[in-house]
Amino acid sequence: MKPFWLFVLALFVSPALAEDWKVDYGKSQIGFVIKQMNVPVEGGFGRYSVKAVFDPAKPELGFFRVELDIASIDTGSEEGNGEAKRPAWFDTARYPKASFVSKSIKKEASGRYSVTGEFTLKGRTRPLVVPFLLTPQRDGGWLASGRAALKRTQFDIGGGEWADPSVVADDLEAYFKILLKP
Amino acid sequence: MRERYSLPLIGLHWLTLLLIIAAYVLASLLEDMTLSPLKLQLYSWHKWVGISVLFLLPLRLLSRFVDHFDHRFQLTALEVKASSAVHGLLYLLLIAVPMFGWLHSSAAGFSVVWFGVLPLPDMVGKDKALAEIFKELHEGSVNLLVTLVVLHAAAALYHHHIRRDGVLARMVPWLKKKA
Repeated sequence: MKPFWLFVLALFVSPALAEDWKVDYGKSQIGFVIKQMNVPVEGGFGRYSVKAVFDPAKPELGFFRVELDIASIDTGSEEGNGEAKRPAWFDTARYPKASFVSKSIKKEASGRYSVTGEFTLKGRTRPLVVPFLLTPQRDGGWLASGRAALKRTQFDIGGGEWADPSVVADDLEAYFKILLKP
Repeated sequence: MRERYSLPLIGLHWLTLLLIIAAYVLASLLEDMTLSPLKLQLYSWHKWVGISVLFLLPLRLLSRFVDHFDHRFQLTALEVKASSAVHGLLYLLLIAVPMFGWLHSSAAGFSVVWFGVLPLPDMVGKDKALAEIFKELHEGSVNLLVTLVVLHAAAALYHHHIRRDGVLARMVPWLKKKA
């Protein structure tokens, strides 16, 4: 049976049951851009896991959980990667994981959604609203992409000698592209 | 015959030397530093100073062009050949050294924002292997530049102290020609 008909069937059989999508990690990306001396520098995470239970037709029933392995961070340079794990930055020995857990999802417009949830980083939990786009893929999957503005001071990332925002900015932009497969 | 270069040309010549010394000292400091906010600042300053050398060069060539000072004046045919070759190479390296630095920055994923204000376009995409190659070229070309600057200065001192002509005084207006 074609995925579309399975999908229609699922709507009738169990309206409350949204699909648990698989993630193609090879084609997905979680990254960030942060200005250093006013130069936008790209970074990202090599290892993370995504749980996506979601039905685009019934977004409010969906659920997302993203877990980042902080030690897999790429700050754009070898010495930056070493520094980022130290206590002044992410303190990976004490806080190896960061997570985002959704509380509610709503549809904003066609293909546009926003998810409200709690983002926990370095032991600090803050509410976070992330707008995202869902783009249908040929295989019946979806590409979820979005970005969110964050401040490193909210999570005590890079304190002490690194506190000066004119060297490493307080503001950063996190972005993601997650390829969901049926 | 006028005995010295025009003041803008003299000013740009010595400013370029000061900038090269500043960039070299900053780079030497950076080599032994572990990552710190100061290191990021010095890195940026090094890039800003180096790009300034590159951006000043067209002005210098323009002021040399409008100056019409005949640098062959009082020189032997061999000296004209040697000095033209060294000057040409120096100009070439004043372009090459900062360009390799710029290319290295682009390839390393740390673009240049001149004085934190003017973002310079990335001439190549992020590529670790390419970044290493441009780093080597940057270092190699700067060593050649320093060698030529020493040769250039030695020639100027030779003219002043041995030949006792006015060649050095062309670029140092307050210097009196040795009797």
